Amino acid sequence: MRIGIVCPYSFDVPGGVQNHVMDLAEALIGLGHQVSVLAPADEDSPLPPYVVSAGRAVPLPYNGSVARIAFGPVSTTRVRRWINRGDFDVLHVHEPLTPSLSMLAVLCARGPVVATFHTAMTRSRVLSAAQGVLQILLERITARIAVSALARKVQVEHMDGGAVEIPNGVAVAKFAGVDPLPGWPGECGPGTGGALGFLGRFTEPRKGFPILRDAFVALARHRPGLRLLVAGPGDRDDLYERFPAELRDRITFLGLVSEADKARMLRSVHLYVAPNTGGESFGMILTEALAAGTTVVASDLDAFRRVLDGGRAGRLFPTGDSVGLHAALAELLDDADGRAALTACGDQVVANFDWPVVARRVQEVYAAAIEATDGRVIDQEWAEMG
Amino acid sequence: MPGMWWVVGTALVVGLVAAYLIWTAGRVERLQARAESAARALDAHLLRRAAAAAVLAEQRFGVELYAAARIALDAPPEEREAAENDLTRQLRAVVLDPTDPACAAVVAASRRLALARQVHTDLVRDARTARGRPLVRLLRMGRRHEWPRYFDVDDPTLAVPADVTTG
Repeated sequence: MRIGIVCPYSFDVPGGVQNHVMDLAEALIGLGHQVSVLAPADEDSPLPPYVVSAGRAVPLPYNGSVARIAFGPVSTTRVRRWINRGDFDVLHVHEPLTPSLSMLAVLCARGPVVATFHTAMTRSRVLSAAQGVLQILLERITARIAVSALARKVQVEHMDGGAVEIPNGVAVAKFAGVDPLPGWPGECGPGTGGALGFLGRFTEPRKGFPILRDAFVALARHRPGLRLLVAGPGDRDDLYERFPAELRDRITFLGLVSEADKARMLRSVHLYVAPNTGGESFGMILTEALAAGTTVVASDLDAFRRVLDGGRAGRLFPTGDSVGLHAALAELLDDADGRAALTACGDQVVANFDWPVVARRVQEVYAAAIEATDGRVIDQEWAEMG
Repeated sequence: MPGMWWVVGTALVVGLVAAYLIWTAGRVERLQARAESAARALDAHLLRRAAAAAVLAEQRFGVELYAAARIALDAPPEEREAAENDLTRQLRAVVLDPTDPACAAVVAASRRLALARQVHTDLVRDARTARGRPLVRLLRMGRRHEWPRYFDVDDPTLAVPADVTTG
């Protein structure tokens, strides 16, 4: 099958949607399809061979953050040319409701269009003024995919249409085999040692870092050798100031990490802690921790409970409860067998999120979109191919 | 010559209105055609699932499932939704073994049917919204076609352990 994928955001900056598009494209190529990805990118930036640049992206303040997107007459011409040359069986656009290449591609497209909605954004500010424009856009889309239950709920309630829920994939191979950081995770026995991990912006209240801090401080006083590994954007001194002076040498701060270092970081701890208090629609980081084979302790949010299979693949603690987190950490650090049981179940769960499996489900949506456009049913063997 | 401007202005307005009407008519036609294609695809997937279920019933589960599959295959249009729902219930009642090819075929057919149903529902909604607009109704655009109809059945997805893991 010839597949054209449109990514609205520039590959020059890392981001969730960009990673999703690249991993999906590679998985589809692995299944034997011809894939072309159109994305904004600087002329001289190195791109994978399947990516076609649509020119430089312009930073635009949009929906409360700065997005680097391409939009305008020049981009329209390039999108149209790419679509005409590509002769695609199906066009797959991501986030088509932001004014971007994706929106242009939807407007230029004639054949079957599949759209993936990533964020749980209700509707964009630009389009809220123009319901009619939104309708013209939406009715050109044949099939819709939502990456989380929350994103799907928004589709159903606000955009008057259903969507197939297909979760984000995780490239299990990129996480499973890597080496931990030197000197990590270290010893972990009953009453002593152990390494905890946290990834994210520790200053953001919704990430719940203060809950982990309280639990860590209480636990570290009675548990010699317990260490904490923190990665994410933020200031080193700001982080250390949040802890009592005698515990500061037990905390390591990595700052912002690359994808490769993220995998190493996740492999470097005994327990990955996700104390978030809300605002998570999917819990990508949990699937990554599971793929790395690390035991997960997470707050009891809807999204997390789904990923962790109701608590079979990782320990859940009451959201916002540092005492509950403390108890869960103390118990699991002492119980190597308990950790192994959770990781074993985690391996099974994460197999459902492996990219080749996810890509096969996306491929079935492509088939449904093509069928709905010309009314002929694609052969079972063809759809199951790969 | 003020009269000249009247002529130009009127011609312009008429032109714009005509362009809008042509575009709207094309839109209604396009959505109508797509809803009809989706209905044909949905029909094909319903037949596939019923056929796969009949094969499975002959091999393993016997009369009741076979009867449900036969009724779904032969049902007249007005009874079809109920017959398909009944088949879904029968399939949910049996324990499917994902390693058996006949079972796997039914599970795969059900998954594809669920997608076809979802897409069909969305496209029918789009087509009906377009036809329901006051201007479209007034000019009776698309009157050569019947109104697209929803096919109202339960979600046919079968929950099978290790279903997705095996791909």
